[in-house]
Amino acid sequence: MISEAFLYTGIFLFFSASLISLLKRLNSFVYILSCLGSLSLVIFSLYLLIAGPVSLSSIPLSSIYEFSFGGDAISGFFILVISLLVLSVSIYSAGYTKDMNSRGLMGFLFNLFVLSMYGVVLSQNIITFLILWETMSIVSYFLVTFDRTEASSKAGLIYAVMTHIGTAFIIVLFLILYSQTGSMNFADMRLLSKAIDQPVKDMLFVFAMIGFGTKAGLIPLHTWLPRAHPAAPSNISSLMSGVMIKTGIYGIIRIVLDLLGGGPEWWGITVLVIGAVSSVLGVMYALMEHDLKRLLAYHSVENIGIILLGIGASMIFKTYGLYNLAAIGLIAGLYHVLNHALFKGLLFLGAGSVMHATHIKNMEEMGGLLKKMPYTGLFFLIGSISICGLPPFNGFVSEWLTYQSLLLGARTPSIVSKIISPLGGAALALTGALAAACFVKAFGISFLGMPRSRHAEDAKEQSSSMVAGMAILAILCLIFGIFPGLIITTISPVSFLITGSYGVSTEKGFVIVNESLAGLSPFVLLFAMIVMVLSAMVFIRSVGGKRSIVCGDSWDCGIPSLTPMMQYTATAFTKPIRLIFKRIYLPRRELRVSYIVKPFFVKSIEYSGEIVPFFEHYIYEPSVSFIKRAAQRLRLLQSGSLHLYLGYILITLILLLIFGT
Amino acid sequence: MEYIQFLIILLFAPLVNGVIKKLKANMQGRIGPGIFQPYYDLIRLFKKDMVVSNVCSWVFRVAPYVVFSSTVVASMIVPVITTRLAFSHMADVIALIYILGLGIFFIALAGLDAGTAFGGEGSSREMTVAVLVEPMIMLTIFTAAISGGSTNLIKITELQGAIYTPSHVLALFAFIVAIVAETGRIPVDNPDTHLELTMIHEGMLLEYSGRYLALMEWAHYIKQMLLFTLAIDIFFPAGIAITFEPVALITALGIYALKILFMCFLMALIESTRAKLRFFQLPSLLGGAFVLAVLSLLSYVMMGK
Amino acid sequence: MKSWIEAFSIIDFISVGILLTAIAMNAFKRLESCLRAYMLNSWLLSLLIAIVAFMLNETHLYIASTLTFLGKGILIPFFLRRIIRQMKVTHDVEPYISNSLSLAISGILVAVVYASLKEGIFVTGFSKNVLQISIAVILIGLFIMLTRRKAITQVMGLLFMENGLFLAGFSLTFGMPAIIELGVLFDMLMGVIILGIFAVQIKKTFASADLDKLTILKG
Repeated sequence: MISEAFLYTGIFLFFSASLISLLKRLNSFVYILSCLGSLSLVIFSLYLLIAGPVSLSSIPLSSIYEFSFGGDAISGFFILVISLLVLSVSIYSAGYTKDMNSRGLMGFLFNLFVLSMYGVVLSQNIITFLILWETMSIVSYFLVTFDRTEASSKAGLIYAVMTHIGTAFIIVLFLILYSQTGSMNFADMRLLSKAIDQPVKDMLFVFAMIGFGTKAGLIPLHTWLPRAHPAAPSNISSLMSGVMIKTGIYGIIRIVLDLLGGGPEWWGITVLVIGAVSSVLGVMYALMEHDLKRLLAYHSVENIGIILLGIGASMIFKTYGLYNLAAIGLIAGLYHVLNHALFKGLLFLGAGSVMHATHIKNMEEMGGLLKKMPYTGLFFLIGSISICGLPPFNGFVSEWLTYQSLLLGARTPSIVSKIISPLGGAALALTGALAAACFVKAFGISFLGMPRSRHAEDAKEQSSSMVAGMAILAILCLIFGIFPGLIITTISPVSFLITGSYGVSTEKGFVIVNESLAGLSPFVLLFAMIVMVLSAMVFIRSVGGKRSIVCGDSWDCGIPSLTPMMQYTATAFTKPIRLIFKRIYLPRRELRVSYIVKPFFVKSIEYSGEIVPFFEHYIYEPSVSFIKRAAQRLRLLQSGSLHLYLGYILITLILLLIFGT
Repeated sequence: MEYIQFLIILLFAPLVNGVIKKLKANMQGRIGPGIFQPYYDLIRLFKKDMVVSNVCSWVFRVAPYVVFSSTVVASMIVPVITTRLAFSHMADVIALIYILGLGIFFIALAGLDAGTAFGGEGSSREMTVAVLVEPMIMLTIFTAAISGGSTNLIKITELQGAIYTPSHVLALFAFIVAIVAETGRIPVDNPDTHLELTMIHEGMLLEYSGRYLALMEWAHYIKQMLLFTLAIDIFFPAGIAITFEPVALITALGIYALKILFMCFLMALIESTRAKLRFFQLPSLLGGAFVLAVLSLLSYVMMGK
Repeated sequence: MKSWIEAFSIIDFISVGILLTAIAMNAFKRLESCLRAYMLNSWLLSLLIAIVAFMLNETHLYIASTLTFLGKGILIPFFLRRIIRQMKVTHDVEPYISNSLSLAISGILVAVVYASLKEGIFVTGFSKNVLQISIAVILIGLFIMLTRRKAITQVMGLLFMENGLFLAGFSLTFGMPAIIELGVLFDMLMGVIILGIFAVQIKKTFASADLDKLTILKG
C-alpha cells in the first residue's frame, strides 16, 4: 500500500507540474515538482524490485477495453532508470529553460513526456501499452520540433515517420499475439504463449526486433537518431537518448524474454550480431561527426548495441538451459541500460551547457573550454571516461560483465555460438577502442587547447542549477562504478524473474561471476590508484626536492606565436581512422587549387571532405525516391477535383454493396 | 610478499629498458649506453624544474599521475613470480587491459592539451593504433581465457601449465605484435626519435618536462615490463611458484628473469632487423596479426584445444 | 390505432416518400426547390420516427422526432436559405449532367441497392424496405454531391446523406440514445454553418461558388 502511495504521489506531482507550467510562471517551481516526483518514483521502483510485483487498479474504458497498470521487477528497474535521470535533468532544466521563449509549453511537454514513459513501462495490456507508446512518440515529436527551425522540423518529420513504421510493426505484433492467445493482458499472454506455433513465434520475434529496434535505434533503423537528438533542446535530448530509446530495450525484453520466454538459438545469435554491428558502426559514424550532439547521438546507437550484446548472449544461454550464464548476460545488459542513461544523460547536458554558452555546435570552432567552464568540463570528462568503459566509472563494470558473458559463450554446446560470442567480444573491444578515440577527440578538441573562435573565447560557466544537474549524474557515475554491488543487487530480481538465477554474486565490494570465478573490485582499484598517486607524490618530493614550475608558451618550433588555427582539428584527428576504414566510410575528398601562374604561384587552396553515410545513401534514399516516383504515378488520381473524389467514394460504396454482401 | 611482488616490475622496469637498448646497440655493432642509464635519466628528470605551457589546463598536470598510478595498479594484479597474489580475486585480465586503457586515454588528452600540432598528431596516431591493437589483444586473451575457463589471471596461469597447442602459438605471435605496438617499438613507432613525421608516443610527451616527464617515462617502462610479464603468464607460465616457500620463490625469480631476458632479446632482435613502417602500412601488419588472433580462437573452438 | 398503422403499412409509405424526395432533388433546377425537397425529406423522417415512437411507446424516440423536426426541418433550411440569399448567385443548380440522366442514374442506384441487399438484416422488423431505402438515400446524396457544381448543393447532398444514415441507424437499432442523436444534430448544424461560411468565402475569393476553381489548390 505504501508503495502505491509513492507511485500516486509521483504521478500527481508530475501532473500538477505540467499544469502549473501552462500558467507560464513559477518556472523553477515546476521543475522542483518534477524532481520531487522522480524521487518519489525512485522509492516506488525500489519497492517493486525488492518487495515484488504490484498490480494497480485499472481504469475501465468500455466493457472490453481497460487501462490496466501494474509493475513487476522489470518495470521497476526501468522506472528506476527513468527516475534517476529525470531527477537530475529536471534540476538542470530549471536553469536551462530560464531564458526560453515558450518555457511554459516546454515544462508542460517535459512532464507529459516523463509521465508517458512511466506509463509505457507500467502498462499491463496491449491497449494501454499502445496508447501510451503513441503518446510518448507524439509528445517527443513536439519536443524535437520545439525550436521550430527548418532543420528541427525536418528532423521531426523523419523521426515521426520512422517511429510510426516501428509502431506499425508493434501493432501487428500485438494483434498476432492477441489472435493467438485470445487475451489482451500481458499476464495471460505469458501463460498462453507456450502454445503458439514456432513459425508464428519467429515472426513475432522479428516484428518485435523491427518495431522496438526502431525506437532503440538499432542499425539500420537508426537514421532518425542522429537527426532528432541534436534538433531537440538539450535537456530533452538527454531524456530521449538516456531513457526514451531504452523503452525499445524494455519492449524487447518484455516481449521476447518475458512474454515469449525466449526462443531458439538463432534469436539470440541475431540479437548478438545486430548488437555487434550496431555498436561498431554506431561508434564509427560517431567518430566522424564534428557536431557535438550528433556525435553523442551516434554513441547512443553504439551503446544500445552493447546492451544487446549482453541480452543476446543471455538469450543464447537461455535456449540451452544455462540459466546461471543467462543471468550474467542479462545483468550485463541491464547494468549498461542504467549506465548509459546516466553517462549519456550527463554528456548531453554537458553538450547543452556548451551550446548554451557558445551558441555553436561544431567542435572545430570550440577549444579551451575547460578553462572557461571548469565544472562543465570536469563533468563532461567524467561522462567521457564512463562512456569509454574505463575504470573506475560505471561503464567499465557493465562492459566487463558483457565480456564475461560473451566469453562464457564457449560453454554452449553449439559451435556457432562458440564462435560468434567471442567474436562479439572482439567487436566490443573494437568498440571500446573507437569510443576512447572518439571521446579523446570530443573532449580534447572542444575542451582542451586554445579557443578556435570568438564564441568559444567568450564562453562562461552556466547557472548553478545546470551545474548541479550534471554534478548529480557525475557522482552517480562514480558511485555506480565503484560500488557495483549496489546495482547488481538491484538488478538481480529482474534476472531472477527472467532466468531464475542470480549468476553474479557480490560480497565485500567484489563482483564475482559465479560460473568462472572471475572477479572485480573497482573500489579496491580506485583505492590502490589513490594510494599510488599519493606515494608517487611523496616519492618525487623525497627524490627531487621542491622544484619550481615555469610557465611558458607551447613549443612552436622556433616560429613565434602559435595560433589556434595551427592546432590539430577534429577532422585531422580522425583522418587515420577514416583512411584505414575507408571501405566503411567511403570518404570523398575534393581539393580545388587555383593558380596565378600554374604550377608555381598558388592563389588559393580549398579542401572539402565528407563521408558517405552508407545506410542513408544506399538503403533509405533509394527507397524514398522509389516511393516518391510511385507516388508521382499515383498522383494522376489526385486531380484536385472534388467531384472526382466524390466519384471515387461512390464507386467504392457501390462496389462494397455489390461484392460485400 | 603477496603485496609487494608488483615492486619487482616497478623497480626493474627501467632496467629492462636499459637491457633492451644495450642488446639493440650490440646487435647493431655499437657499444650503447649502460644498462642502468634509464635510472640515471629518471633521477635527473626528477631533480629538474619544469616548464609547463600557458595553454595547458589541469588535465595536463593530472595526466602523469593518472598514467603512472593506473599502470602500477595494473601491475599489481599480475602474478610475477608467484600466483599467491593479494588481489587474487580481482586479478582479471580484461580489467587489466581497461586499466591500461585509462592511461592511454589520459596520455592522448594530455597530447591535445598544449594546443600544438605535434601533440595532436601523436594523440591521433596513438588512438588509431589503439583501435587496431585492442581487439587483437582481446582476442588473444580470449583464447587463453577460454582455455583457462576464466578471465582470472591466476586461473589462466595455473591451468595453463606447459600446454602448447597450435592456437596458443598463433595467439602468442599476435600478442607479440600487440606488445610491439603498445610499447611503441619499431616497426610501429620509433622510440629513439623525435622526428615529427614518425613519432607517436614521443609526440604526446613533447610538452612534458621534469618530474612529469619522468613519471610518464617510468610508467611507459612499467607498462612494457608488465606486458612482457603478461605474455609470460599467459603463454609460458611454467616455473612460476604457486606457493610461498622461499626456495620456490627464488627459483621462480630466476626463471622469471631468464624469461624477461628472452623477451628483451626478442624485442631487440625485432627492432634491429625490421624497418619502421609507414603509418598507413600499419593496418596490414596489425590486420595480419588480427587474423592470427581470430585463427587461434577458431582453431581452439573447432579443435577443442 | 396501432393496427390501423400496420394495416396501411404507413411506415412503408413514409419511407418511400423519403426516397422520392431524395430522387426529386435530381429533378429540380432551382436551389429553393431543392431546399424544399430537403425540408420535406426531414419532415417525413421526423414523422416516421414519431409513428415508430407511438408504436413502441418510447419516450426518447419522441424526443428524437421533435429534434429532427426542429433541427433538420426548420433550423437548417432556414440557415441555408439565408446563405442562398447572401450569395446573390443565380438560383440555378447547374449540374454537370442533364436532369433526366441523373434521374436515371439515381434509379439505377436504387436498383443496385435493392439487388445487393436482398436479404438484409432487419433488426426492428417494422418494415422490409427501410434499410434499403436509407442506403439508397445515402448513395443518392453522394451522387448529388458528385454531380453538382455549386458549394451549396454539395452541402445539401451531404445533408441528404446524413438523413439516410440516420434512417439506416434507426432502422437497425431502434434509434441511438438521445444524447448521441442530440450530438449528431448539433454537429450537423455546426457543419452547415461552417460550410455556409466556406461557401461564402469561396465565392468571395474566386468570385464564383464553382468548385471547379478549387482544382488550382492542388499541390
